[in-house]
Amino acid sequence: MMSTSRTEKRIRFAGICLAIGLVIEALCLLWATPIAFIVFVAMGGLLMLIGLVVYLYATVSDPVAGD
Amino acid sequence: MPQATILIVCLVLFSAAVIGILAVRPGFTAGRGGKILAFVAMFCLPIFCGLLGFSSEMQRSKTTAFCLSCHTMEDYGKSLLVDDPTHLPASHYQNHRVPVDEACYSCHTQYAMFGGLKVKMYGLKHVFIYYFGTPPAPQDIKLYEPYNNRECLHCHLGARSFEEGVVHNADPATLPAIKSNQLSCLSSGCHDTAHDLAHLKGAKFWEKGN
Repeated sequence: MMSTSRTEKRIRFAGICLAIGLVIEALCLLWATPIAFIVFVAMGGLLMLIGLVVYLYATVSDPVAGD
Repeated sequence: MPQATILIVCLVLFSAAVIGILAVRPGFTAGRGGKILAFVAMFCLPIFCGLLGFSSEMQRSKTTAFCLSCHTMEDYGKSLLVDDPTHLPASHYQNHRVPVDEACYSCHTQYAMFGGLKVKMYGLKHVFIYYFGTPPAPQDIKLYEPYNNRECLHCHLGARSFEEGVVHNADPATLPAIKSNQLSCLSSGCHDTAHDLAHLKGAKFWEKGN
């Protein structure tokens, strides 16, 4: 039960990172300036990378899924 | 705004909404169906959206408007409209020898493996300096390395005007020297007027280009 809760927390954290990262990427696509390119790669890309890694970690560390 | 960009933005926002729902209710991902949904929404979709968005941003970063949106580049943009056929960038731009929408990138990329990536890294450095450093005066901007004939030959190699040009064939050694980059197209006294910012004030401009 406790590990499931931990998995849910990780998935929630990953989801928040991914959602914010995607919103930043959407805004950068609409905002056609050179700084948008940097924000797209540096902020959007970083948040999405963190989200993906945490999600994958949550999936492989879930004992229920591992059975 | 291009329709493709609007579609990508819609897809990105849809993905963010689906992921947002899963983030609010992570319990959905407990069952088998939920796990599959979570994998698609939180792994496949973000990667797909990220790649699409990155491709769109890369495409935009190649445009002339993108390069000239920095204040430092204004004079370089003006030099494309100089009414002088010996002015190399101007004659290429005005006669559509390069795509007008990607004029800067067409000549300043490197037509080699990872050349595009390398010049984009330079571009990122330029943007960083522009916003967080002290950008040099336009006339003080220099190329990172001497201009390689490879970039000219990407289009001109095999072209009749190049291969059969009178000056290019005056000496049998000239053409091979150009092709092997031993004799520079730009700095050997032949096509040496490129972005002549020093004389831009007194220059005559092509009015229809504005």
